[in-house]
Amino acid sequence: MAKILYVQTSGTDTPERLYAPFILGATAAAMGVEAAIFFMIKGITAVRRGEAEKIRIGAFPTLAEAMRQALDAGVKIYICEQSTQLLGVPRGDFIPEGTIAGGATLNDLALDADAVMTF
Amino acid sequence: MGVGEGATEEVRPARELDCVGLYCPVPIARTKEEIEKIGVGEVLKVEADDPAAEEDITRWAKRTGHEIVKFEKDEGILMFYIRRTK
Repeated sequence: MAKILYVQTSGTDTPERLYAPFILGATAAAMGVEAAIFFMIKGITAVRRGEAEKIRIGAFPTLAEAMRQALDAGVKIYICEQSTQLLGVPRGDFIPEGTIAGGATLNDLALDADAVMTF
Repeated sequence: MGVGEGATEEVRPARELDCVGLYCPVPIARTKEEIEKIGVGEVLKVEADDPAAEEDITRWAKRTGHEIVKFEKDEGILMFYIRRTK
């Protein structure tokens, strides 16, 4: 099965950049492609518990709805908790569906993927 | 979940590494250093409490070809038993 990896580096201060990985991930799953999203740098602010529910822009549904569709389609979510130290914010308190992971995981996912896209 | 989790065989580590309190990427870097100090076929025990280490060390071992022969998790402490394969 083909694999695709999305890397989300943008955060809640640019909500227009947050939808694409979820929508693309759900689409990838429908195409028979295994999809994963890795949240790092400011991207981790979007997967703090309760944040996606607060984001809704344009004519799109809430970010939480887009995230739920992706998760229901089987898209895997990885979260770089160590990015909290870069941003100077407390560790933890992320959505329970996400897997806490680090550099070795991101490198491994990228090497295994047929394509990597960064947002 | 680590490879070999639930294995009942007795594993005797030749060396132990304490990574409790250390965060990514330090546990990976230290594990790489320490596994080079044991012989091929011997086991390195690594303890860590960085939640990222579970996925990271499992993937590191698979990528580098070393074998996780046993994995345990006890109240946030992750314990990997990694056999040096080369």
